[in-house]
Amino acid sequence: MTAPIVQFDGVSRRFGELLAVDDANLEIYPGEVLAVLGENGAGKSTLMKMLYGIHPPSTGRILIDEKPSTIEGPADAMSNGIGMVFQHFSQLPALSVYDNLLLAWPQTPFWTGRRNPRIAPALQTLSRLAPEVNPRAKLAELSVGEQQLVELCKVLNISARIVIFDEPTSVLTPAEARSLHGFIRQLAEDGAAVILITHKLADVEACADRIAVMRRGGIVDISQRGDREMSEIVSLMMGKEVKRTLSAPKPLKRRVQQLFIDKVCAEAPGAALHDISLTIARGEVVGIAGVAGNGQTLLAEVVAGIHPVTSGDVVLDGGSIARFAENDTLATSLGYIPEQPRQNAVVDGMTLARNLNLRALAKGARSDEVNPEDLLRRFNVNPPEPDRLAGTLSGGNLQKLVSARELGSFRSGILACYPTMGLDLAAIEMVYGEIFAQAEAGAAVLWISEDLDDLLVAAHRIAVLREGRLVAIKTNDGTLSRDEIGALMTGLNTSEAAA
Amino acid sequence: MNGFNRSRLVIAGVTCFAFITLTLVFFALLGKPPFEMLAKLAIFAVGDAYSISQTLAKTTPILLCALAAAVPGRLGLISVGAEGQLYAGAIAGTAAVLAAPALPGILLVPFMLMSAALGGAAYGYVPGLLRARLNINETIITLVLNYVSVLLVNALVFGPWKDPDSQGWPATISFPQGAILPALPGTRIHLGLLLAVALAIGLHLFFTKSRMAPKIQILAGNRKVGEMFGLNFGFWVIALMALGGAIAGIAGIAEVSAIQGRLQPTISLGYGLTGFLVAWLSRHQPLIILPVALLVGGVVAGSDALQLYAKVPAASAVILQGLLFATALAVPGIMKNMRFGLER
Amino acid sequence: MNVELFVTLAPWAIATLRSATPLIFATLGETLTQRVGVINLGIEGEMLVGACVGFAVGVATGNPWFGLLAGSAAGGTLSLLHAALVLGAKANQIGSGLAVWMIALGTTSYFGRALVGQQVTPLPSLGSPATDGVPFLGVFFSQMTMGVPLAIAAVVFASWWLAHTRPGLRWRAVGESAIVSAENGIRPNLVRLQAIVVGGLLAGFGGAILSVDYTQTWAQEMTKGRGLIAVGLVIVARWRPALVLPIGIVFGLAEVATLRVQSLGSIISPHLLATAPYLAVVVILIVSHAFARRGSSMPADLKSVFA
Repeated sequence: MTAPIVQFDGVSRRFGELLAVDDANLEIYPGEVLAVLGENGAGKSTLMKMLYGIHPPSTGRILIDEKPSTIEGPADAMSNGIGMVFQHFSQLPALSVYDNLLLAWPQTPFWTGRRNPRIAPALQTLSRLAPEVNPRAKLAELSVGEQQLVELCKVLNISARIVIFDEPTSVLTPAEARSLHGFIRQLAEDGAAVILITHKLADVEACADRIAVMRRGGIVDISQRGDREMSEIVSLMMGKEVKRTLSAPKPLKRRVQQLFIDKVCAEAPGAALHDISLTIARGEVVGIAGVAGNGQTLLAEVVAGIHPVTSGDVVLDGGSIARFAENDTLATSLGYIPEQPRQNAVVDGMTLARNLNLRALAKGARSDEVNPEDLLRRFNVNPPEPDRLAGTLSGGNLQKLVSARELGSFRSGILACYPTMGLDLAAIEMVYGEIFAQAEAGAAVLWISEDLDDLLVAAHRIAVLREGRLVAIKTNDGTLSRDEIGALMTGLNTSEAAA
Repeated sequence: MNGFNRSRLVIAGVTCFAFITLTLVFFALLGKPPFEMLAKLAIFAVGDAYSISQTLAKTTPILLCALAAAVPGRLGLISVGAEGQLYAGAIAGTAAVLAAPALPGILLVPFMLMSAALGGAAYGYVPGLLRARLNINETIITLVLNYVSVLLVNALVFGPWKDPDSQGWPATISFPQGAILPALPGTRIHLGLLLAVALAIGLHLFFTKSRMAPKIQILAGNRKVGEMFGLNFGFWVIALMALGGAIAGIAGIAEVSAIQGRLQPTISLGYGLTGFLVAWLSRHQPLIILPVALLVGGVVAGSDALQLYAKVPAASAVILQGLLFATALAVPGIMKNMRFGLER
Repeated sequence: MNVELFVTLAPWAIATLRSATPLIFATLGETLTQRVGVINLGIEGEMLVGACVGFAVGVATGNPWFGLLAGSAAGGTLSLLHAALVLGAKANQIGSGLAVWMIALGTTSYFGRALVGQQVTPLPSLGSPATDGVPFLGVFFSQMTMGVPLAIAAVVFASWWLAHTRPGLRWRAVGESAIVSAENGIRPNLVRLQAIVVGGLLAGFGGAILSVDYTQTWAQEMTKGRGLIAVGLVIVARWRPALVLPIGIVFGLAEVATLRVQSLGSIISPHLLATAPYLAVVVILIVSHAFARRGSSMPADLKSVFA
């Protein structure tokens, strides 16, 4: 029986009043892939960040090679052979690939010029894993998949014995995810202890040897893969019997065009849209699938009238709602739920009540349209105190606050971007419920999502966005497959994608 | 009083205490008896009618410049241009007087004030425009432009506007009686102070109760969200920068008209920067600016008198203000650090 | 080269270089500081104390080099206040810089009174009997002091150091993201402290050159906003040390041109002419913003200060 390389012994971590990790006991062995599975907020990342030295445990201890860990920060972790591939890459997009690799490499010499022969080892993994990537390129110019490979190179460069992956496939296409699963298995076969933090069952099924399920900060189950049915694992994750309530959309009786996106072109630093045309009917839900970074944000901002179009138009209910010049004054007529609500949709320093009422306040009107407390409760915003400052809310609650504002009354057009990001299952059900209720009442809904499974269940049609173009608009008649959409997302044809 | 306000009051108290301590240290380093100096400072600030008049005379431009910084500050803009706008207003106001020196006071004073306001507004408009259209940081532009209008005043009083009778002293003619701001007899408390207080109250109402107040709050809190709901950031940048400039312009002509009686090279003793400091300390809230400006005005007037009577260096006022500013910046952070240390 | 052309241009070139030198040091210092994500408006104050202390020590010891070193040290010491406020007390960077400037204004005004009218031993010129005879360059050497070559060397070295060394890489990383840098084992606050102090040392040196070498005198507020201008020029130089040199030279040229026109006794008021360098800065900033791609080269962590 090999000795565990890492042991968590009664580890807890508290942030103020929040108990993020509660008495975790776990052993990790070299040569295996341990999946740490759980919903958003279960404590998986925090647990592993303690191993990596980003936070110290509030109680308990961590043992490495059966001795208490002396790691006080990421630098110590790296020199002890622990590598972490972060969910939001630990990268500096404005610097070159070369610079990013050298930054993370403990043996970088004083002189970092290309001619220095001591630099060579750091670049070898890059040429092995991603030979088509130019080390001189700025990291921002790479695709997300390539960026993740660079992250992986950083870890390989430190000859890590323990590798932690934090939600690595959340931004990848199905094909890229498969490729990554291969790397993960290879790492374990080469002797490293691999920890895979994820909430996706596909990751677990592809590469896990053991599965640890976390819920609300505690480790509720540890099992070998195969010991349990997937549905059991899911129940352990969620804590109750779960039925997805997302259901297939009701077919439209007639098509009444409501939201027109007409040959829209737009430009922004790092992204561009080319000839986007799409019509959405009254009551129709159209989903936009695509790898992150292919123009989704720009598309959303153009349709919402935030970013100007260079040509084309967006028409709602017969009236143009597009912005044509940077300095135009234009209020969005859509119900718009942007991504990253804290930055894009709320004013931190104002109360919840005022945030709910922003439309009216911006027009100079005074009256409240809706009772704020009722609205907060209906959308499960916690705590439902209208006079609380929005800045004190968590990310998930802000998402709900924005949903409350935008979905709280009828809108003829709705643009929802990743509307369930960061929410727990109950909240996800609630938000989807509200969005689809709006559709049934006659709204035209444009829905940008990262979850292909959700789109395949609930959208009337699915459009695929790649490199700023809509490369396909497919009717969701039950025959679409994930691989087919995945291939369209990346541009591979289906046979290559399945390989 | 909820916890939020209580902690603000505590911070204010600690800041005052720290500042007074630093002031005592400052006096000790100068070789003067610290407590005695501090007492003298207070007496020279508010000890008798004359002192109070001096304090109020200093408070007026400081108050106006503070409002000039606070107006754009409500939108999150950091404008340190009150000094330059003050001089620009002085030029414009003087131009009005030189153009129509024979007008009766009842017409000349408003004409002069409005010209000054327009001149200051124009000088605030330029950096506002650059920020709104080209996103050029207004702090740097306003700081650089400060030097320009000071030099323009020099160019005018050494050149075309020079009073031929003044024998080599660079200055315009003395302002006619009609152009002198009315003041309380025998004191230096003039109309400018009244205007300043009225402006403070008016701005308070504007920024809290008017229909436009939430618009500014939204844009200041999150520009993107504001624009999403139809607000125009650029418009407000220009409007508030110009308004701030106008207020500083009035400060400029007030100094020229009521205190100096004519346009000369040195109008302001750094009131622009002092005003910025006051606005900052008051979190850009006009009602708080009133007492803080008075306090700082007292420190400045008192230091001036100390210089005459106790041989304390003239630069003390500036040093003390810098110390006050630094203390106010340091205290909240240090207190937060201490609280964290206790919690751990 | 046409000898007459050279004879006309050489004095301009030399004067431009000498005029630009203090500004180059200050701008270089602020560039390095901003590259780690900190803005320091206090360099105006650091230049001022550098000029004051540098002059005082130069006069007292009779050795200009001691003056330059002392001025540099004074600038570095003052910058510690900014570092303490910004890094220690998490104070607002712009406010802190202005506070530092204010304190410097006051203290140099007080201590400088004794220095007005004093004479300082200037730096020796680079000329020597060996070089005087050399055509073209001989003129350059005989009218320049070590200030100019030091400025050029500093820019070249800083540019190389930032781009091609490990510590330079770490500084750039901190400027892009303190969080990611910490994840890579760097201590961002330590790096920021170092950069602020280096900025202060360079600004203080620039100020000392201004009083000891260029003007060889002390006057109240003699930096006249050069430090603030430097902050603006950092943006024009797109935060690249290498560009500090040409941009400093452009500004030096503007100053020299102003002085020449003034001395030619034109009818334009010398005060009006004196506004030219400041207006030039505004124009340069406008041009730079109009042509630059949106926010592309600003170190990412700096954006939160400006936003």
